[in-house]
Amino acid sequence: MIRKVLFIALLGSYVAVIVPFSSYLGNRSIVNKLGYMPEAEIVKFALGDLRYLASQWAVFKVMLYFGGMVDNDINKLKLPPEYPGMSRMISNAVRLDPYNMDAYYLAQATFVWDVKDSAKEINKLLIYGMRYRTWDYYLPFFAGFNSAYFLHDYNSAAEFMKKAAELSGDPLFTTLSARYFHEAGRTELGIMFIDSMEHSAKDEKVRTSYHTRKEALLNAQKITDAVNRYREKQNVDPNTIEELISKGFLNKVPVDPYGGKFYLSKNGRVESTSKFAFGGQSR
Amino acid sequence: MFTNLYQLNLKWIIRDRVLQALVGVALLLLVLVPAFSVLSMRQVQELSITLSLSFISFVLALLAILLGASSVWRDIEKRYTSAVLTLPYSRGSYLLGKFFAIAVCLVCSAAIFTLVAAVAISFSSGLYQSSLPIRWLHIFTAVAFDVLKYVLLVAIAILFSSISTSFFLPIFGTISLLLAGNASQEVFEYLTKDSVGVKTAKPLLYAAKGIYYLIPNLGAFNFKVSAIYPVALSSQGVIYTLLYFLVYTTIILYLAVYFFSRREFP
Amino acid sequence: MKALEITGLSKIYKTKKAGVVNALSDLNLVISSGEVFGFLGPNGAGKSTTIKAIMGLIKPSKGDALIAGVPASDPHSRLNIGYLPENPSFYDFLTGREYLYFIGTSFHMADNLLKSRTNEVLDKMELSLAADRPIRGYSKGMVQRLGLAQALLHDPEIYILDEPMSGLDPLGRALVKNLIKELKAHGKTIFFSTHITADVEAVCDRVGIIVNGELRAVDKVESILEKGITGYNIHVRTGGDISLFSGFDFTERDSGILEFYTSRALFKQFMEIVVHANCEVDLVEPVRKNIESFFLELVEKR
Ligand SMILES: Nc1ncnc2c1ncn2[C@@H]1O[C@H](COP(=O)(O)OP(=O)(O)O)[C@@H](O)[C@H]1O
Ligand SMILES: [Mg+2]
Repeated sequence: MIRKVLFIALLGSYVAVIVPFSSYLGNRSIVNKLGYMPEAEIVKFALGDLRYLASQWAVFKVMLYFGGMVDNDINKLKLPPEYPGMSRMISNAVRLDPYNMDAYYLAQATFVWDVKDSAKEINKLLIYGMRYRTWDYYLPFFAGFNSAYFLHDYNSAAEFMKKAAELSGDPLFTTLSARYFHEAGRTELGIMFIDSMEHSAKDEKVRTSYHTRKEALLNAQKITDAVNRYREKQNVDPNTIEELISKGFLNKVPVDPYGGKFYLSKNGRVESTSKFAFGGQSR
Repeated sequence: MFTNLYQLNLKWIIRDRVLQALVGVALLLLVLVPAFSVLSMRQVQELSITLSLSFISFVLALLAILLGASSVWRDIEKRYTSAVLTLPYSRGSYLLGKFFAIAVCLVCSAAIFTLVAAVAISFSSGLYQSSLPIRWLHIFTAVAFDVLKYVLLVAIAILFSSISTSFFLPIFGTISLLLAGNASQEVFEYLTKDSVGVKTAKPLLYAAKGIYYLIPNLGAFNFKVSAIYPVALSSQGVIYTLLYFLVYTTIILYLAVYFFSRREFP
Repeated sequence: MKALEITGLSKIYKTKKAGVVNALSDLNLVISSGEVFGFLGPNGAGKSTTIKAIMGLIKPSKGDALIAGVPASDPHSRLNIGYLPENPSFYDFLTGREYLYFIGTSFHMADNLLKSRTNEVLDKMELSLAADRPIRGYSKGMVQRLGLAQALLHDPEIYILDEPMSGLDPLGRALVKNLIKELKAHGKTIFFSTHITADVEAVCDRVGIIVNGELRAVDKVESILEKGITGYNIHVRTGGDISLFSGFDFTERDSGILEFYTSRALFKQFMEIVVHANCEVDLVEPVRKNIESFFLELVEKR
């Protein structure tokens, strides 16, 4: 009898504790949620062959919190993203298992877009991966895209694309010569890349993130087209998007799926207050 | 009365040569921390903290699993039970004597390791100036919660031993729960995130929730991030985790005693 | 005073391999204080099962056991018991002395009493020399004697010994027999199991015989021996006239002594003849079955 009461009291206290406890855990900051992972060299040493699992687990964690950021964006929640922690995890993941494609893929899907000036670092990571995944055309393809889109280094981009073409045997890559990069607009290049990535994305959250980005770029492209037509007709740059609408070059202001507002920068380029990044406004 | 059993078990742990070997290796590794840390040119201090915390965690995990899973099993296997369970002790005090002896052993080992680690970290950080201060309180908190985590794990190992006759359930059951408990929060969040990403089927969702609340949430005991990086220590987190530890461990021990008291030793 | 009271005790083991084993069926037994009770039965009869139920190691399927009036399920019931398990095994990382210290404190013995008792029992069990060596290095007989030492240590009123003589050499067996006699002289209650009839005959007041989990007989050792008398050997000095004794077998001895055997039934008639013939009787010796044959009869009877 006393024991039963004691046990019920114990269960009661468990319920009383678990409710605030799990809500506290759910609301921990991403840096805390990501936790810490010992240096890859130590994990390797301690885990032996289990390190491949650890590598995958690190990717899973980053994926989870990247997914969390996608959700927060959709739900209009504002949480500062934790890129340094996530990039630490990814770099650990590839050091644990240099063949882990998911890690490279995730780096390409997230940091390179969302973290300013990260393309150089990511390309280093991709080049490191190319040493191992010698058969894989994705890595040079990513690196080529980054070189062109972010670094404006069209010659390296063409080199990487050539490598991708050789590995894949796909004629698409051969058309991506240095000249092409010079002539194509930046937005167009982005759309081209995302198109090919969206199809190959396995993870739904990554696909969602690509989809959102493509939508943003397409909408930006609409404005850019209007700006170009305006320039041709009026021989001056438009000052605002509203001007484009009032003069009939655009029927309505396209929506930025990142929740920002499109505007024209001084040199007539289309920008958004969201900077086309998850949580961009809060940064 | 009860202290008697507890002392007996401490004696067992101390006389076990496996333990000495483990402690020796751990001390050696901790002394090697500075040597390893200088490998990282940029963040010697961070690496020395990471290394020390990882080693302590690793050794405590080994101790918890080996001692927790073997203590009851060994008594049964070597037929000590017929001599010791027929003394005027309740089965509960027999089990709790083991639990507290192992818990104290974990606490003492952790204290020794931390002391050695503190020396190693101070030494390593002196080798290369870091922009971050060493926050000892955060480091000690991280180790303390590691100890609590593994004490909880010992309770689980003892629960498994109290219902199983073999060595496998306690060992592998405890290891599985250690892995699952470390991951449960992430997996739960992944499955329950009400998002476009995952569409979890309703029954699976209920199962996930059930398992999440059933198995120990060991990930919560990880306070290492704030020991290594400049992240604030959440006092709310400390209190909730402490309460969770107390309640969960008590329930596990209660169940262990319940099952062990009903067990037969033919 | 009842030292042990066992009522309707049954134990059914359910195993995956052997199926259901009726190890013990409906055992009723009362051992009174100061008694030496031998629990005799062949291997696998259910002796250890009974003892384990008394010691709370197993739960009876039915019935219960009281130790000095306290249910066996209560740990306090064991405060006044010295128990020797069958083929005992003790924490082998301790020395004999350390183990006894652990046992003594478990029974709340005061430190100085514990020290003197430890030396006493080690001495009695001839373990003084090995006392400070780890049990790991003990021989089987030494462990058995340590088992007796730890049962004796806190000077309990009731002893429950599961095959106390097993694993001992003849010297050791004699030691144990003397020990039991000594304990009996001090008014202690002893319940011990054995499969050796001679042990029972040597030290017991009463014996219970268990076969296949059933108690077949419980009786005083004396009365079993008395009931076991089948006839008598009688040595008679006759004057030479032996015609009166016709019908009785005899063998003639050198010195004019006739050695008769009469069955129990004819003893009275024979003695009447002796009186009538005015013979001298040199010796009357009962011829009886020993406990062994009694035991064997019971075991074979189905
Ligand atoms: N754990 C067990 N599981 C199944 N059967 C058992 C178990 N222990 C004992 N038995 C059976 O119970 C019977 C009585 O055993 P036991 O009491 O040990 O005999 P003994 O009189 O030799 O001490 C035997 O037939 C034995 O096979
Ligand atoms: Mg037996």
